[in-house]
Amino acid sequence: MFLQVLDQKLFCMKQVVILSFLLLLSSIGWAQPFNEYVLLKGVVDDAKNKSKLGGASIQIKGANNGTIADLNGAFSLYTKPGTIQLEISYLGYRDTVLELQLEAGAVRNLQIHLSSSTPELNSVVIAGYLQGQAKALNQQKNADNIRNIISSDQIGRFPDPNAAEALQRVPGVNIERDQGEGRYVLVRGLAPQFTNININGEQIPSPEADVRFVALDAIPSDQLASIEVSKTLSPDMDGDAVGGSVNLITRMAQSKLPHINGSIAGGYNAIMKQPNWQGQLQFDQRLGKKEKLGILLNGNYYLNQLGSDNWEQAPNDKELELRDYELTRTRSGLSGTIDYRFNNRHEIYFRGIYSRFTDREWRRRYVFITEDEEVEKLTKDRFESQSITAVNLGGKHRFNGFYLNYEGQYSSGIQNTPYDHEVAFIADLPSSYSVTGGKFPQLIADGYTNSSKYEFDEVAYGGSYAKDQNATVKFEIGIPYRTGASTGTLKFGAKARFKQKSYTISNDVYGADAGVPTADAFDEAPIKSEFLKGRFDMGRPINMGRFNRFFNANPGLFELDVESKSIDEALESFDAKENVVAGFLMTRHQFSKLVLTGGFRFEHTDVSYNSKDVLIDAAGDLEAIRPVSGTSSYSFLLPQVQAKYELSKYTNLRASVASSYARPNFGEIIPAQEINREDRVANLGNPSLKPTSALNLDLMLEHYFGNVGIASAGVFYKKLDDFIYRRVIFNGSYPLTGTPIIPRIDIIQAQNGNTANLVGLEFAFQRKLDFLPGYLSKLSLYTNYTYTHSKATIQSRDADETKPDATEKFRLPGQATHVGNLALAYENKKLVVRIAANFNGEYLSEVGGNSSEDLYIKSRMQLDFSGSYAVSQRFRLFAEALNLTNQPFESYFGSKSVVAQREFYRSWARFGLKFDLGFGK
Amino acid sequence: MKNNLLLLSSLFMLFCIGCDKKNKDLVLPVKPEKFPQVIRFADEIGGELEDSDEFSIDLTLVDRVDPEGEELGGKVVPLQQDVRVFFTVSDNMGIDDLASYIKAGTALYEIDACTSSEDEGIDLDFQFDPATGNGSVVFPKGVEEMELVFEVDEDYLNDAVLNEEERAIEFKLVSVDAATENVVVNTALSFTYEVLDDEGVHGAWELDLENTAQFAAFKELFGLVNEDIAALNLADVEKIEITFELEEVKVLVELKETELLDECGETEEVNKVIELELELEELSTLTSSGELEATGELELEDGSLLEYVLAGEFSILDNELKLELTNELEEESVTAELLLTR
Repeated sequence: MFLQVLDQKLFCMKQVVILSFLLLLSSIGWAQPFNEYVLLKGVVDDAKNKSKLGGASIQIKGANNGTIADLNGAFSLYTKPGTIQLEISYLGYRDTVLELQLEAGAVRNLQIHLSSSTPELNSVVIAGYLQGQAKALNQQKNADNIRNIISSDQIGRFPDPNAAEALQRVPGVNIERDQGEGRYVLVRGLAPQFTNININGEQIPSPEADVRFVALDAIPSDQLASIEVSKTLSPDMDGDAVGGSVNLITRMAQSKLPHINGSIAGGYNAIMKQPNWQGQLQFDQRLGKKEKLGILLNGNYYLNQLGSDNWEQAPNDKELELRDYELTRTRSGLSGTIDYRFNNRHEIYFRGIYSRFTDREWRRRYVFITEDEEVEKLTKDRFESQSITAVNLGGKHRFNGFYLNYEGQYSSGIQNTPYDHEVAFIADLPSSYSVTGGKFPQLIADGYTNSSKYEFDEVAYGGSYAKDQNATVKFEIGIPYRTGASTGTLKFGAKARFKQKSYTISNDVYGADAGVPTADAFDEAPIKSEFLKGRFDMGRPINMGRFNRFFNANPGLFELDVESKSIDEALESFDAKENVVAGFLMTRHQFSKLVLTGGFRFEHTDVSYNSKDVLIDAAGDLEAIRPVSGTSSYSFLLPQVQAKYELSKYTNLRASVASSYARPNFGEIIPAQEINREDRVANLGNPSLKPTSALNLDLMLEHYFGNVGIASAGVFYKKLDDFIYRRVIFNGSYPLTGTPIIPRIDIIQAQNGNTANLVGLEFAFQRKLDFLPGYLSKLSLYTNYTYTHSKATIQSRDADETKPDATEKFRLPGQATHVGNLALAYENKKLVVRIAANFNGEYLSEVGGNSSEDLYIKSRMQLDFSGSYAVSQRFRLFAEALNLTNQPFESYFGSKSVVAQREFYRSWARFGLKFDLGFGK
Repeated sequence: MKNNLLLLSSLFMLFCIGCDKKNKDLVLPVKPEKFPQVIRFADEIGGELEDSDEFSIDLTLVDRVDPEGEELGGKVVPLQQDVRVFFTVSDNMGIDDLASYIKAGTALYEIDACTSSEDEGIDLDFQFDPATGNGSVVFPKGVEEMELVFEVDEDYLNDAVLNEEERAIEFKLVSVDAATENVVVNTALSFTYEVLDDEGVHGAWELDLENTAQFAAFKELFGLVNEDIAALNLADVEKIEITFELEEVKVLVELKETELLDECGETEEVNKVIELELELEELSTLTSSGELEATGELELEDGSLLEYVLAGEFSILDNELKLELTNELEEESVTAELLLTR
């Protein structure tokens, strides 16, 4: 009901927003130009340890004019000449007021040193931790839009090895995991494709073939200075984000003193009983007498040997699988920044990051096909690497009367799978199972572990290569102005992004009529001492290397399925280009305590693609493979207005109305088709898919604590048109139209839903509990909770020729009703101990052919521990342990009683040393 | 500065370690483009009636990816050089003296539809010793498939009784002698030549056209899947024959109407025929009565194929075969009893 009322009022609200913005623009028409002005530039830092205070507020007292220091504590501000009082404030620090005499046309450079008001911040040992939190909260407090910021120091407080897991601590962020490690982020109840991922303010391409969103487990958190999650958009940001926009910011050199920090750690994975290790090293320094040149270099390496025990079932087919995973994953990264400040007005920078994630996976499994009285025994060996490269070259220039920022970026994402091998043996064995209680199946299958009963079925040798490249250029110009007592900045800019994406695969499937020995000729000792805590016996698994040696020695026994190879390779390969041009016009205007930011953004997109269409004749044979090309284009005009009202020095009320959209994934629009007859699954492109458009409303009240903390509450609402969801048509026929050629196949295709509404409430509380007595005053609490509710309308899955317009409502895929974090820490001058719980509520993952076939991911709560002890000013010992309670990944079909999958990872831990060798210390 | 360089070098080394991927126990398979050519038997089984004077075995190369990319389902890519293939008799069932049965042999390949290598006098150096069962032959370059023809004594196994034991010879490929060619043979596959007993159901059986009831039953049974048969007039039919081969049943209606057939430059006037071919799924052999099941495919207007099933029982009495068959096409079925003679 609430959603319906909101929906009815949206049209009126849109008009109000546009009218407000036009009034704002008209006020600019009466504005007085700043012909005579002063440019104030400076850096805000800590008086004691010189660390830069990003997010500091710089305000001219008595005038509606101010700005916010950037991540490196730097700021610039245009003001009128004369005597002014400049007030600098920063959470956890005493406010500082400077009285300045300013002459017209001058450039004034300031070095502002703030002193801490918090005893802990005066402790050089603990400073790094609290300062990180303070920096993040200051940026969040002073930002014009609603955003959450995680500083690198804050990332270090939680045991989060990659960017996705760091993001799970942010209010309203849910993550999808792979093998227990965070991979994709879902912001505010929306699937990953509704959130764009940026590095240093520019979108990066996805290494994966079919999607746009980036697997954030490819990016080590050690490479980042901070992560920003913008939940509301301003016109100078890309408009293709509905859930939010994630910006990963790499580090910059801060000080003229050479600075080296890093960490080294080793650990243990309980399920594999294998060690893991990691190391990170960073050097940064500003060079030259005036510190004009800054250089930073950061490298890291992380190796993890992990695994999982998994069972899953396809209840419709009465098939049960036992899956034993063994993985070796590495994350390595190298980032660097060179910046040069010519003078107070002009600077250029070059930033680069390269990250590489590798994943060697062995999957050993049994498939119990009860209806056919067959059991399959398979082993898969696959190596995959994902690398992301981004280089940004840009400049910032302050001229008389305006400023100019510009940047060019090249970025690429590559996913390379040089080998993906799987060998399958099959035995004629009756089996049956039942899943009562939903925890573990009761399996009856006599002799299934006897490898000698399994005969060779087939071996598949595959590989793939996906590449996505972006070349982007953009600029923005800001012109300060005054209208009466208030001031503002008019901004406009343009951007062009040229994207190229391609994907090629190889798929060689060999069969043999005779001569291949039974599976016992290739088996090996079990990798794990027990599977699912001894509930099932996985027998002796097939060793892929041993089989491949036999294959190479006896090629005459094997025959390549050439037709399948042709079909598979043609269907999945594609190349595409996407050109985006965008422009924006906006203003940021300060009326006393009210900051109003608004404007329009226009984005036009042209997409062209080449793929191959496979024609299968009526008899089911390959008839032809034909190249297919296509184009599509779309444009969006996006009005966006945000308001921030300072109720008090520490309290803000924020509101935002913004239009945005989400692009379809390439894999969804390119009409290539992937048909796996063996698995009876077909993935079909949908060239008529439209982008999802959205209207986003936000209201947020936030109160900051002077001793570094926050309490906030907000409500958000999103109305989505043409939302995209992945529909599974179980036991469908291929093709979807015309004469069916393949019956009983599960067809997966992205489709536009009609409309969807999403509403949510967001709460966060974070502070030291220093009001408690004694040792309890050393406790601090970090907690947040997000409630979301959505309702989407799609064509009814019961619709047919007689009722094609029938609709049904359900919740949006990816939308979890409850998401939250709770962390309790004890912190004194040397010791920090933290226990952190992250709760991901259940959500709909795939829409099935009917409600009983909808696939849901069950809610999951993970408990992690981290602790550190400062041995000295420079060295800190730390320990981390994840998934203490061995929480599984679980999914179900339709009803919680129909379990689809349960996967267990056990816990893993690390111990190590962090060091910070600032030579000035 | 020295320390800085040292640290930067350490950083670089750390990154290099990061790039290294340890491919533990990785054995990469032979790539398709380097995968050897494979020579194998074209079929796993073949058979002739016991009074036949020869049988043959086809050798072929396995399909590969078409280098030109035209044949999407793959094609045979002929060898660049001649190679010698060695084969052997790996099993002999029910034939007392192989040397008395197999008299000689030859090898040939098809140059075009009307010409074989034998016609052109090309010798493939076929060698076979019936005493040891070992033999070899040249698989020539530029050829997709070749045929080994074994001449046998037509009287040696031709008896007048229905044998109770199977008579068969099993062949296997042993090796290949190839100097530079990347080629192997499939040593696991075998070819079994089965001797078909003509006192059993195998062979050709003719319908008595003077029996109008039998003709009507035949029309009804096979007219279900063939419009031409459904429309037959007895007066137009010369002969109706059902032949049981090793894995196939052929139904042949020979019409009185003739046509001129041009074959290899020679024009011949032949009777028009209507022919159905069904694949045998099940057939009782070495017995005078039993069961059979065969499937055929009916091509629809859109090119799709519809399967039909012919199943039932047979019994042989003297020179007469009685078939009690049901033909099923989707939800329709026809049952008939046919009497045929040799």
